[in-house]
Amino acid sequence: MGKTTYMRLRGSRHLRQRLVLATLTATPIVVKEIHSDDTFPGLRPHEVSLFRLLEKITDHSLIEFGESGTELLYKPGVLIGGKNLVHDCGLSRSIGYFLEPLILLGLFGKKPLSIRLKGITNDSKDPSVDTFRTTTLHMLRRFGVPLEGLELKIESRGAPPLGGGEVLLRVPIIPNTLTATHWVDEGMVKRIRGITFSTRVSPQIGNRMVYAVRGVFNNFIPDVHIFTDHRSGPAGGRSPGYGMSLVAETTTGCLISADIASTEKADEMDEDTEEKPEVKTPEDIGIEVASILLGEIKQGGVVDSTHQGLLFLLCALCPPDVSKVRVGALTPYGIETLRNIRDFLGVKFVIKPDTSTNTVILKCVGSGMKNIARKIS
Amino acid sequence: SKWKESLIARTLMRQNGNLMQLVYGQSLSNSAAASQKERESSESDESEDGNFFIPKGQREKMADEKFDDNDINAEDCSKFKTKLRKWSDENLISSIRDRFVTGDWSKAAQRGKLANDGE
Repeated sequence: MGKTTYMRLRGSRHLRQRLVLATLTATPIVVKEIHSDDTFPGLRPHEVSLFRLLEKITDHSLIEFGESGTELLYKPGVLIGGKNLVHDCGLSRSIGYFLEPLILLGLFGKKPLSIRLKGITNDSKDPSVDTFRTTTLHMLRRFGVPLEGLELKIESRGAPPLGGGEVLLRVPIIPNTLTATHWVDEGMVKRIRGITFSTRVSPQIGNRMVYAVRGVFNNFIPDVHIFTDHRSGPAGGRSPGYGMSLVAETTTGCLISADIASTEKADEMDEDTEEKPEVKTPEDIGIEVASILLGEIKQGGVVDSTHQGLLFLLCALCPPDVSKVRVGALTPYGIETLRNIRDFLGVKFVIKPDTSTNTVILKCVGSGMKNIARKIS
Repeated sequence: SKWKESLIARTLMRQNGNLMQLVYGQSLSNSAAASQKERESSESDESEDGNFFIPKGQREKMADEKFDDNDINAEDCSKFKTKLRKWSDENLISSIRDRFVTGDWSKAAQRGKLANDGE
């Protein structure tokens, strides 16, 4: 065996995407200067947890951390997947942080993935588990992923800071490749659905949020239906919290999502930010999430800004066929995704703005990623 | 007014050409320029009192400024926070009225048609 050449990267930015792409393309990587300028240098707890998760679903992968924790070496192994896995996501980031890479990796595994994730189910930083269930999983259908076997079950909820939630994720493997998609028609918003959650607080809070949301959407559309999910006892986790996730469904089946959760998290990592953020009332939460959703609708595009990265990745992982998608204004995360795709997969998108609607149309030829780990039967 | 329209169109055209460059091309030259700028500024800092001690508020401000393209340790977060607007505003409401099925369908169809012509 010859000497392995490593792709050299700097910083912890987009670590998840880089790890996913490195694993899928079997590119060994070296990352340096991870949080090297911070007061507490080195990898964050959630980043270490992410590596532990990678170790669980792959075989023969090699992960080494530098002594100071600001450097790491990753040599991807074979993606396996597997059943009845359990992973504790920790409390520094919510489960949403781990779901995004897991979904992509699960599709290209050898066996269908079924994993139980423990930690924080809803917070404001990452997409909540509700958004994943209602929006992200349905996005995969556009790329030829069978919906059966694709499931996210919320067994118990956990709000920050103490978490205590538990979800069960099942991802099927794709038979061979994804299918390229031509997805530019946004359609018109025909209905709005949503779900509120409340844990360890008065069950009335759910209704208060719904009431506030309805007030905003009354100007637009009557078909608004929001479920309330109140959890008490052990199913409610260990911290009080509430929030909601909204989805706008269009006539062409595009799903635009927005979510938010109450912030009561005191950050132990940064002592600078000692002043406690004001606790938002349920009414504030409702109005804010509705405003976010309307903002996303105004932006246009077939997905919301949160899902741009995943959309581009899926397009780039398609067989060598033309995919065409429309999004609203490119987000910084989306732009960085496009760069990572170019670096790892060698796929360059043709990006053309559509001035009449202020949206952006992206075209690409997929890299022809195949599920090679799959057992041929 | 009418004379402005051609100007607006031209500005938009210019922006469009830059989008590919924005994503793939410019980042290298951009970061090089930024690092140069950083070096210059750090030199001037050191001449005063070194940049070891930074007032509490200023560090946050610096972090804010750093958040554009070049922060290699930016938080890995797919959610993008946009500025919230007040959606009770009548103008704002009418600006997205036709994105809903309760709005004008012919206008929405036009929107889709324009997109197809753009190919």
